[in-house]
Amino acid sequence: MLKNNLKWAKKNIPQDLKIWKELISEVDWKDVGKKLKKDFEATKERITDEVKTVAAMSGSERVDLLVNGEKHLGRLYQSGKIAFTRREWKGVEGTARDFVGWLKIWGAMSAMVMKDPISIAEGLFEYRWFSSYLALPAFADRNNLGLRGPHVTMANELFLPVFRYGADMIATLLMADERLGNNPKIREKLLLFDEMTMSQMMAGFPNLEGIPYQLMPVFLVSEIDQLICIPYIDAVESFGLPSDTCPVPTSECGAAIMDALPHCGLGFISTSTPCDGSDMATSYQDRRFKMPTYPLTLPVRYDDEDTVDCGAEDMKRCIKWVEDLTGEKWDWDHYFEVIRRFNEQTNYEMHKWEINKTPYPQVIGPAYELFRKWSYEMDGGLYPSTHKTFKKIDKMMDRAYEKRMQPYRAPIRHRAIVWSCPAHYYANFSNWLQNCWGIGVLVEMESLNFTKMLNTDDKEEAIRDLARLYERMVMRKHTNGGHVHVLEELWKQVEEFNVDIVIMYQHVCCKTMSGLQGLFDEQARERGIHLIWVEHDLMDPRTVSRRDMRSKINNYMVNVFQEEPLDPSLVEFEDDVTW
Amino acid sequence: MKDLKHLIYFEGLLENANNPLIEQARAEGKLAVGYTCFHMPEVLLNLDNCFSVRLRAPNTGSMDIATYYMSNYTCEFCRALLERSFEGGFNFLDALAGVDACAEMNRCMENIELQNLIPNEKFFVTHADIPYKVEDFTIAHYVRQIKNRVLSRLNEVYGVDISDESIRKAVNEHNEVCRIITEIGNLRKQPNPPITGYEFHVLNMVTYCCPKYLILDKLKETLTEIKKRKPDAKPWYRARVALVGSEVDDLGFTKLIEDSGALIVADRFCFGSTPGREEIILNDDEDALTQVCRHYLEVSECPRFMSNEKISQRRETADRLAREYGAEGIIFEQIKFCDFWAFERALASHVQEAEYGHPVLSIDRPYNARSSGQLRTRMQAFVESLEIKRIQKGGGSPQC
Repeated sequence: MLKNNLKWAKKNIPQDLKIWKELISEVDWKDVGKKLKKDFEATKERITDEVKTVAAMSGSERVDLLVNGEKHLGRLYQSGKIAFTRREWKGVEGTARDFVGWLKIWGAMSAMVMKDPISIAEGLFEYRWFSSYLALPAFADRNNLGLRGPHVTMANELFLPVFRYGADMIATLLMADERLGNNPKIREKLLLFDEMTMSQMMAGFPNLEGIPYQLMPVFLVSEIDQLICIPYIDAVESFGLPSDTCPVPTSECGAAIMDALPHCGLGFISTSTPCDGSDMATSYQDRRFKMPTYPLTLPVRYDDEDTVDCGAEDMKRCIKWVEDLTGEKWDWDHYFEVIRRFNEQTNYEMHKWEINKTPYPQVIGPAYELFRKWSYEMDGGLYPSTHKTFKKIDKMMDRAYEKRMQPYRAPIRHRAIVWSCPAHYYANFSNWLQNCWGIGVLVEMESLNFTKMLNTDDKEEAIRDLARLYERMVMRKHTNGGHVHVLEELWKQVEEFNVDIVIMYQHVCCKTMSGLQGLFDEQARERGIHLIWVEHDLMDPRTVSRRDMRSKINNYMVNVFQEEPLDPSLVEFEDDVTW
Repeated sequence: MKDLKHLIYFEGLLENANNPLIEQARAEGKLAVGYTCFHMPEVLLNLDNCFSVRLRAPNTGSMDIATYYMSNYTCEFCRALLERSFEGGFNFLDALAGVDACAEMNRCMENIELQNLIPNEKFFVTHADIPYKVEDFTIAHYVRQIKNRVLSRLNEVYGVDISDESIRKAVNEHNEVCRIITEIGNLRKQPNPPITGYEFHVLNMVTYCCPKYLILDKLKETLTEIKKRKPDAKPWYRARVALVGSEVDDLGFTKLIEDSGALIVADRFCFGSTPGREEIILNDDEDALTQVCRHYLEVSECPRFMSNEKISQRRETADRLAREYGAEGIIFEQIKFCDFWAFERALASHVQEAEYGHPVLSIDRPYNARSSGQLRTRMQAFVESLEIKRIQKGGGSPQC
């Protein structure tokens, strides 16, 4: 392993140093000096302004600031900068809670580094995407904006297992990467699968390490750093792919073309889910990955029970393929143990929905949204530590509900649901909605997944349930298999959650959703529901920027609702390059 | 070359989706079953008193209403069909046999269904689930879907005979058309073919869009005529090309290509003859439905199939056709906003050039291409590049 690290260093360090030297020699130091001076002056001006604001406050306002934190979050953003000016002041309690969460995140990141410091350090230079993970604490800050009290802790607790999982995955990939760690012990048990499928099959192979291959280099990082997928997209578009395809498969193909994925893995399970673009990415990836591939292809019309046989048979053959490839045997006991845990987690999830349907919703916001998607698809009951998080959040949520607490500093003025695929590059859009306009997003389409209790005693039926689950992976549950899953389902959820606003994402490249655009519009009008269309391009902020997304809401709230924002500093600000 | 006797008649049949032969067949008590995709086995829509109509929307103008319902980011073919449905252009349909293979077409059909755009009382839309790879269990799945979602519905709603005997009869009739089209198509392999790509496109498309029993006589007569036809001594074209890609029902597009100096000798696109006009050979050991379904899955060249052998099959078919028909280059085309062909075209065009050695023109195009000056320029440039390549190789006339 060390030998491989040295080989990498010998190959890369001299040329990297040469590049660094050239870069440094080309720096205009006078210009750097000017910029630093300008930044210093801007900081000075901001601090002066903040001091003046506090000085002008009455005594009660100061107490409120001390206890409940600041109200104007727009001042945290600085034009042309990737980071916030500083962290949010959430009041004494909130800030203390947030600091604990912040420490835990750094702890998770440090633990990752300690697994194999050399490979991790080399990975930082080998892979562009890896450096974006250094912005993880900033990501948490951004997604916790406006939260107060125990809700700060809940958000951080929800983030933590996702971050720990991510850190583990990165460490494993880099340690196994033949260019870096090349660790044979890890390599011989590493099975890769498409990030657009579920992970529960790994429950039957406890001795294997299953990794959603593109998750770390593409999917998750695109939520942390809004600009990270641009090179991937450009690479594959320059190859001839039209720009109207979904940025997820586009970025995956681009990452494969750019060789941005670590070289490791015994084999790869590709998938037809969730949609047409993902299906098509297979041919690009297969060409680059150069490893045995099993195409796991689940029926689309999943409501039709006649299709289950096909899905179940494919699951069986995929399991057999894994057994033949790795020499491992499917372990029913372990599988059932994991699925029992997963079923329990589904109950916890449904409890969250029940609470959010009441006038006192509790677990809302980006942390919940990310955790839900991740736990349903990637954790899948596999990690006992996540189960502890479910239990802890459940208790905290019940306590907060009993006290009728509000999650954000600003009150919820409108109850909303988010429908269609959300923009990765604006992961914290829902807390902007709340902080700026008091639009509380109670649930989003991608959280409302399969809730059937999966069979844990009959082997044949268990495989059929596994197929049913895979057919209903996060996005596919709604966007495929017929209009009833997305059109009629929306009105059902609108009623159950008692919402007055639907934030209707219009992912401009998602043809599945676009095909029903007019019917959504008409049916919302018939029902008297405020349906606000918000365009975005999933992973490409150049098409529709965060600011453009916000302007859709601003226009609607000002012109239709004729309301004043709760936080005017958040109405207009620039964050085109902010992480 | 002398004009084909029935060409104007055939062109006339393609001027509207609802052509006089469809009206005649309906007047005779036949049932019109619409479909849009190769995944829906055409031959099974011709059982008993049914006849299949592959839907298209010729002379499409504005698509404003369909764009409102499906946005301007979706495939124009789908939108054109929806617009035509709003206009009443498909009111002759008794059923619409859909497949949930392509999300955009599925949404198009859902719009037709939910908005009750076809006023026939018994009209129904069905959506069959289609496999992504060809294996024993996926064939069984496909058979189940076609049986439950299409055949049984036709039987329940209209009393259509869906027996094994009925299927075998339909296959025989289907094969007769296939043999004629294949025979005509094979003439394109000649150094100086007696038929143009445009003419072939017209003939082939008529077989998709009209009741087959009503065109058979004229098709046979046309075959005899083409066999005897004398091509011009000096070929009119400057290069021979294969056309590969997504659906092309726009005669203006093939005309545009040939007006630019390229003869289309091989057609590997949806609405083309490969696949689509291969004979279905049945044995007596297995039920006809399974054999038909297997045939369609095996010959399909749809990029939706994601298993390695199907990906290779698509590449090898394009290469084989180009070689067999003497194409000097391949035009890879894709209708705009088609996700499947967007990905397939970008990679396959690269593969054909880099690994199979074919000069390739890779384009995306609107549903109606005839007015596109940009496309014409690209075609002309491609033809020139093929000519230059031939000269560099020391070749002379295009048929060499």
